[in-house]
Amino acid sequence: MKRHALRHAMLWLVAGLLLAVWAFPVLWGLLTSFKSERDVLAYPPVWLFEPTLANYREVLFGASSILPNLWSSMVVSCSATLLTMLFAVPAAYALARLNYPAKRASGFYVLATQMLPPMGLIIPYYLVLQKIGGLDTYSGLTALYLSFSLPFAIWLMVSYFEDIPYEMEEAALLDRAGRLRTLWYVILPQVRGGIAVTTIFVFLNAWNEFLFAVVLGGNKVRPVTVAMFNFISVEQTQWARLAAGAMLAMAPVILIGLAAQRHIVKGLTVGAVKGGGRR
Amino acid sequence: MKQSGNVRMEGVVKQHGSFTALHGLDLEIRPGEFFALLGPSGSGKTTTLRILAGLESVNAGRVLLDNADVTHAEPGARDVAMVFQSYALYPHMTVAENIGFPLKMIGTPAAARSAAVQDAAAKVGIAHLLSRRPGQLSGGQQQRCALARAIVRQPRLFLLDEPLSNLDAKLRIETRAELRRLQRSLGVTMVYVTHDQEEAMTVADRMAVFMEGRVVQVGTPKSIFQRPASAAVASFIGTPPMNMLPARLEAGMVEVAGARLPVAEAGGQSGAVTLGVRPGDLRIAPDGMPATVEFIEDLGDSAVVLLQLAGQQVKLRAANAQALTEGQPVFLRFDPAAAHLFDSASGLRL
Amino acid sequence: MAHTLTAAPARDAGPVTLARQEQRFALALLAPALVLLLLTTTIPLVYLAWNSLHRIDLGMPWLSGFAGLDNYVKMGNDPRFWSSLWLTVVYTCSTVALQVVVGLSLALLVLQIPRGQGLLRIGAILPIVLAPVVVGLFWRTLVLAPDVGLVDLVTRSLGLGSYNWLGDPQLALISVIAIHTWQWTPFAFLVMLATLSTLPSDVYEAARLDRARPWQRFVYITLPLIRPAIVMVVIMRTMTALSAFAAIFAATGGGPGSATEILNLYAYRTSFSELNIGYGASLAMVLMGITLAISWLMFRLRRSR
Repeated sequence: MKRHALRHAMLWLVAGLLLAVWAFPVLWGLLTSFKSERDVLAYPPVWLFEPTLANYREVLFGASSILPNLWSSMVVSCSATLLTMLFAVPAAYALARLNYPAKRASGFYVLATQMLPPMGLIIPYYLVLQKIGGLDTYSGLTALYLSFSLPFAIWLMVSYFEDIPYEMEEAALLDRAGRLRTLWYVILPQVRGGIAVTTIFVFLNAWNEFLFAVVLGGNKVRPVTVAMFNFISVEQTQWARLAAGAMLAMAPVILIGLAAQRHIVKGLTVGAVKGGGRR
Repeated sequence: MKQSGNVRMEGVVKQHGSFTALHGLDLEIRPGEFFALLGPSGSGKTTTLRILAGLESVNAGRVLLDNADVTHAEPGARDVAMVFQSYALYPHMTVAENIGFPLKMIGTPAAARSAAVQDAAAKVGIAHLLSRRPGQLSGGQQQRCALARAIVRQPRLFLLDEPLSNLDAKLRIETRAELRRLQRSLGVTMVYVTHDQEEAMTVADRMAVFMEGRVVQVGTPKSIFQRPASAAVASFIGTPPMNMLPARLEAGMVEVAGARLPVAEAGGQSGAVTLGVRPGDLRIAPDGMPATVEFIEDLGDSAVVLLQLAGQQVKLRAANAQALTEGQPVFLRFDPAAAHLFDSASGLRL
Repeated sequence: MAHTLTAAPARDAGPVTLARQEQRFALALLAPALVLLLLTTTIPLVYLAWNSLHRIDLGMPWLSGFAGLDNYVKMGNDPRFWSSLWLTVVYTCSTVALQVVVGLSLALLVLQIPRGQGLLRIGAILPIVLAPVVVGLFWRTLVLAPDVGLVDLVTRSLGLGSYNWLGDPQLALISVIAIHTWQWTPFAFLVMLATLSTLPSDVYEAARLDRARPWQRFVYITLPLIRPAIVMVVIMRTMTALSAFAAIFAATGGGPGSATEILNLYAYRTSFSELNIGYGASLAMVLMGITLAISWLMFRLRRSR
């Protein structure tokens, strides 16, 4: 019995340590965001300090406000997510459930597009957008976000569609539903969960995107991920403001992550266990 | 009573790549019949059903419903309803919505729809479950829901794909009787696929026995039981299966296992044959075929005795175990009229 | 009852109607996505290949022109390229190996904890949902910065002194590997946890009856059973490691010097800092080739097992 208790205690310790390691940047950042710049630089570190909202005020309403950046992120992420799901869900249904010529080839193609390193795409994107004046525009950025969102979303949705028994379509066809109504009334309601999970992932990926945002964006369209660098320059780092800015920038994804954590965990494991290899 | 629902299949061939599932099938089903498609797995019966539903295409031949060629018609356009083996209920809809779905698809107004749903649900006894979801129903209730969804459309043809295979034994027997009653009251043509010959024998008006993609016999259950057209059919129908013994036929007598016994229906033929005798037709006698008792299955109100006869195991069914013991040598005889003779090469009935 | 179904007249529109209909529907659903993919991936890649055959200098446009395979030749003799290739290999192999080993070990440990697994799952989500660039910045500033960072506070209070985690070439590589591993290990952990909890318990009971000891049970039963999950994690994490950019860019920018400049960072710097896009394009082509080759290899491996 004693051995059991000791073992349990050790495991709890490990668990606690794990939690601390994973949660610490967010917690440390949160802490720092309420400190004044002086408190941040103090050594030994000040644990009891007078919290201040000055950083948040500056970051939201001050000269270095990231509100326009939050807006940019919101617009780009939401439109990219919406467009992605609109194209991906029907495509995934066709790939998963219907028969047509070159089915295997098209499945392979979608899979292959997911394997492309973004760096390979960013160079032609930059050159083309520069030529047509699409740099630093919402439409330009949103459209090109699709290059990584679409294959990912299709691949995820395919595994959800495949979970439905094949007799569903047959029963609906016999019930005179026709192909489109079968999809709408019978199949889609059954993948509601999958659509939710996929939407969350697509949004998270879009919000967190950096490379595309920094190369193809500019002064007008500048997502928060790029705006973080406002607080770092060669001369100095505005520690506390950076922390506050980062907290705000990451607030949406953290909130979504916490709220939908069960969905997210399921989505991660579905994606991994079902695999990306198409039959 | 409907007078529609006449089904004719002419020369239907179905191939999957290089494998032929159906070799030139000819079948006729009369309106209002309860018709069973019976056969072992892979014999082509489910394929036939799916062709009738329109879920599979044909490589050759025609399918006619009420004398109209529906070979290439869509499933929805044939006025055919199907109950799948897995029921294929829509899990996100309530029972009422499931049953009403076919009517919704053809644009029946809501009031008429809910009346029809009530009606169909009452016919199968689930009117009290209308607001539940399929996931909350038992297996038997799910099956009734699937039935109601098919009934509500008042189709001219009702297809059922092994509808009882997911139920436990007791429920199966109860449900089988209910299906029969339902079919009688609706008067609709029902085509029923099963691999369980006892099931087919008890519910069907007529049945077709499938083997390896061909229909080997069509007829009433009784006629098939009493006069199986081939050794294969004979072994398939009846529990326990018919005993098959190699024998020699000559002048109205058959020589088997060292004994000569009379048979009816010899028709003046002679040569090597396969003799078929049902376990229920074998008797222990003072003389006849020599056999040794191997094992006795005493089932209480009947007994099945396993015997070794001429190097082969045969089964005998009797009302009781008759004080037999294992290892005991006995003699077996049978009534001449109970002998089935099959050609030993082709397996066909003589 | 006013509801009657009349049979629709059977339409005999030809032997391939049903299949043809399904095909048309499928293509209608698939075509928009496929067209988009073609426009956003395949065509740009062709353009990339075209660019790699040119000398394109955004800073000095008068030097631009067709260059044939010059860029590739130059690459062969470019020590910075070979170094970036080497760094990519080191980075990818170490982060993936660490993630799998640590993730699996943690999952095995956590499985034995009676309660609190839910809390750990929430904790595991946090690193995954954060933007890699923010993670890189965090570590650069609040964790690894000399004098102010968390790690520095710890080492100083333990009397180990202060280190320039991101400024020292050796330490910088270790630091970026640590950052990447920190962010993505929870993914491996979660997948392993989920897979391990679905393993059938009766196999283990049989093994115990057969007198197998814990590590034997692990090697002979657990490992083979979770192999598909491990393979999947390795594939996905390798892809992520090969295209890792934001975290390294934020933490070190590829430096100091080229100490953490993996191949795609080199391509970025060449194209957008040094404005030598033609050469950058050829570097990107090589990266593409490597990524595709590795993913093809990995999928073949997965399929053959």
